[in-house]
Amino acid sequence: MRNRSSPGSSMRRSRSRSEPHGKQAGSGPNDVHEQVRVHNQVRFQKQGEPMISDRQTRSFLDPAVLSRLAGVPLLARKPMVGGVSGRHTSPHRGSSVEFAEYRKYVPGDDLRRLDWRAFGRSDRFYVKEYEADTNLRLCLVLDTSGSMNFSVEDGPSKIDYARRLSAALGYLASQQGDAVGISCVADGIVKTLPPRRSPAHLRLVFDILEEAAPAGPTRLPEVLHELAETIRQRALVVVISDLFVDPDILASSFSHLRFRHHDVAVFHLLDPLEVSFAFQRPTRFLDMEGAGSIFTDPVDIADRYHQAMNSYLEAMKRVVLESGIDYSRVLTDESYEQVLARFLVGRAAGRGLR
Amino acid sequence: MTFLQPLMLASLPLVALPLIIHLINQRRFQTLPWAAMMFLLSAKAMSRGYSRLRNWLIMALRMLAIAAVILAVSRPLSRGWLALAGGARPDTAIVILDRSPSMQQRTAAVADTKLETGRRQLVESLIALGASRHVLITDPAAEPLELSDVAAIADLPAAGPTAVPADMPLLLQAAYDHLTKSSAGTSEIWICSDQRSNDWAAENGVWGGIRDAFARLPQQVRFQLLSFRDPAEANLAVRVTETRIARRGDGRELTLTVAVTRQQDGERTTVPVTIEIGGVASTIDVDLSGREAVLKNHVIPLDRAAGSRGWGRVSLPGDSNAADNDFYFVFDEPSTRRTIVVAEDSSCRRWLQLVAEIPPEKDLKAAVEVVEAEAFATAALDETAAVLWQGPLPTGKTAESVEAFVGRGGQVVFFPPETPTETVFAGFTWKEWENHPRPLKAVSWRTDQDLLSNAMAGGALPVGELEILRTCSVAGDHVPLASLPDSVPLFGRVANGIAFCGTRPTARDSTLASEGVVLYAVVQRAIDQGVAVLGTARQLDAGPAADVLGKAGVEWRRLVGPADMLATEAGKHAGVFETDERLVAINRPAAEDAGVIAADERIDGLFRDLTYTRIAGTAGRSDSLVQEIWRAFLIVMVLALVGEGLLCMPKPAGKSRPAMAGLRPAEAAA
Repeated sequence: MRNRSSPGSSMRRSRSRSEPHGKQAGSGPNDVHEQVRVHNQVRFQKQGEPMISDRQTRSFLDPAVLSRLAGVPLLARKPMVGGVSGRHTSPHRGSSVEFAEYRKYVPGDDLRRLDWRAFGRSDRFYVKEYEADTNLRLCLVLDTSGSMNFSVEDGPSKIDYARRLSAALGYLASQQGDAVGISCVADGIVKTLPPRRSPAHLRLVFDILEEAAPAGPTRLPEVLHELAETIRQRALVVVISDLFVDPDILASSFSHLRFRHHDVAVFHLLDPLEVSFAFQRPTRFLDMEGAGSIFTDPVDIADRYHQAMNSYLEAMKRVVLESGIDYSRVLTDESYEQVLARFLVGRAAGRGLR
Repeated sequence: MTFLQPLMLASLPLVALPLIIHLINQRRFQTLPWAAMMFLLSAKAMSRGYSRLRNWLIMALRMLAIAAVILAVSRPLSRGWLALAGGARPDTAIVILDRSPSMQQRTAAVADTKLETGRRQLVESLIALGASRHVLITDPAAEPLELSDVAAIADLPAAGPTAVPADMPLLLQAAYDHLTKSSAGTSEIWICSDQRSNDWAAENGVWGGIRDAFARLPQQVRFQLLSFRDPAEANLAVRVTETRIARRGDGRELTLTVAVTRQQDGERTTVPVTIEIGGVASTIDVDLSGREAVLKNHVIPLDRAAGSRGWGRVSLPGDSNAADNDFYFVFDEPSTRRTIVVAEDSSCRRWLQLVAEIPPEKDLKAAVEVVEAEAFATAALDETAAVLWQGPLPTGKTAESVEAFVGRGGQVVFFPPETPTETVFAGFTWKEWENHPRPLKAVSWRTDQDLLSNAMAGGALPVGELEILRTCSVAGDHVPLASLPDSVPLFGRVANGIAFCGTRPTARDSTLASEGVVLYAVVQRAIDQGVAVLGTARQLDAGPAADVLGKAGVEWRRLVGPADMLATEAGKHAGVFETDERLVAINRPAAEDAGVIAADERIDGLFRDLTYTRIAGTAGRSDSLVQEIWRAFLIVMVLALVGEGLLCMPKPAGKSRPAMAGLRPAEAAA
């Protein structure tokens, strides 16, 4: 649907652009609480349960964090093709306030868009064109392989961390009118939900997040190939995974996504213990993805482990640079709010690319 | 290795403690679900050669440390070089002792001489070795001494010091003979020596034969050389090189030439030399700057009342080797210089008679007897000093007489016959005359020793001025004393006491007679050598030359020398001995004073291909070869622990670890 507002009304819009989405204009953190609560109510009512307390919340949603993050828009780095007007640039000409170009009038063009002033000066008919703003499809790709269940005693597991990231991103996108979908990935696509714009759809996304149980091996590269083909239009694909696969294999998946004009963002989750490998006692390491066990003295093997880890991280860095994806390496002892803030601000800074 | 506390060794299984701890440690592992398996797998796949080696080394060092502690607590005794014997008990242990005077050297700090230290260490070692039989060989001429008690070596007179150099090749030959005769089993030959060149005669060709002989023995023979090769420090040796009696007016004078030598160059010093004659001692200071100082022609007036014959002693103050601080000498009126001339040519006879009968000094008496070759056997050979023989070489009984004469110490100089015959005497024979149209002149001759050596004043004999017209060639081994061009011998020595001249003094053959100095010197020196041996007062080197003392039928009285000398050891100790007619001074041979030590490699080379070990000993070392060595084990333990600590040291952190800071953009920015 085209936004048919005139250049004059665009001026009003441009003022509100710098503020949060129109719905939340003038609203504060309390409104966010309200939103979360409403979602929960809808969910519980759907399951035929009596309305319970307002305090019933999703474990991975923190209203305070969401309200703080709501100040920064989630923007795409690439032009998106959306069905409705939104906050993201579109490859097509539209009717935003941002002038794009003059075009010669051809019969059939709406006479209202004819630039009379230009006609007055040059005696020729020109049509003034504007950039189009549109909404985007946010496809969350959540790795639910066994390895995502890793956690140390006092820290969050990677899947918990991934849930929080996904939920926050989904919520933020939904709030600015974008469609949100999710795919849980392990040995294949375990669960998938195509992007929709409705708040009720977001609730389903949260359901999937809540029910996601890490198990089985990772086949992330194959699934990304599949998703690149199945997501119909340009989308923001956010991959949240520990990426324990060969970076070179991943590279081709990322290239595939880019080829399909998807904007790819990756949150690479690593547990601090996986990086430091600080163990003192001989340990039997059980593979969380079911590939047997290794008995070793970590003190012995630490230097070689670090060597392998270093070369992996180097390779990953190279792949990221080559693929041009938005890559965030995240240690799970970091606050996810900070990670997200960094992510959002980074993307907002890149705004303006068409 | 033996232990004073062998019970402590029962705790040796504790060595396995690190291994057990390691195994227990392995048992108490933790199980952990792990996500980043791909890194573990690739880490496992990486080479871990050094890491594995390091682990094994750490384990080994820990076990070594425990073993060292246990062994140290067990108080081990080291048999040191005995361990090298391989632990097998030999059937026979043969001890070869070097009893030469140089073995009496001692260090400044300790009173034990090399010989005493060596004997003590040998006794301890042999007791530890526990061979079935022990045999002592100190004299190649004597029968090997079978010992019932090894400890006897320490105080056996037959193992005591002598003035005789040790003839190592002969001693080893004696050991070999004993081994073959006694059909001994596995044997060990222990040699205690100070590696003096003159004792070992390493350049002697017999060594090859000895080596082969031992190598061919069916039984296993091991050689252990206990070597005391430290050179003597500031050791001085004294020696009388010449004694001469001369009449001066009414009285007589003894002229002595005394040499003081040392083995290394040193500072200029003054050495008090004490000369003692007939109980009267006088001390003369001798300036010693290089290696040798000679007190030349020191004149001592003799007491008129005393007989013409006498003896004396030259001595030095005590130093590191007492055995070479004394030298005995005897003197007597020179006896008549009796010479026998045998010559077929009358001219020759005349010339030889002439040069023999003019004594070199006016006090000396000379007598020449001219005999025919056939009558030679009946001549008074006992009193004759030299024989000048011109004519065909002696044969039959005459030859035997000449050999006996030479064997007693007489000197023979042969001149060629007019017609050479096939007769061979002492391995040499005259071949044929060669005429030289142009007179030949000698091109080289030995100026350092023997008949043509330089005169006492240092000038060379005018051998080069002789003109030789004819020479008679010689076949057989000889040492040339003077050579004409083309190596034609003019003078040569065939054996001890037998010399020859390749031409004759006749005018037709040479100018030996007209340039008479050379002929005179040769003949008088031959007579001198004969007189020195046959005279009534004789200087003898200890050893085989002094065997006369041991001969049956003559009773020698000891005037000075070791009191506890065995009859069988006569002639092996320094001293002065007399019979009614003769006076003999026995001293160490001159080579003992040279102090040249054979290099280790040289000695080792003599035993190549044989089982041989050289152990360095030090004179006066009070510790026995068997000693407690627990300190060494403690040091081993400390070293093992230090090594273990170094290996266990953690690597500097952050070298291989991924930089955590780099993973957090916020920190990286900071």
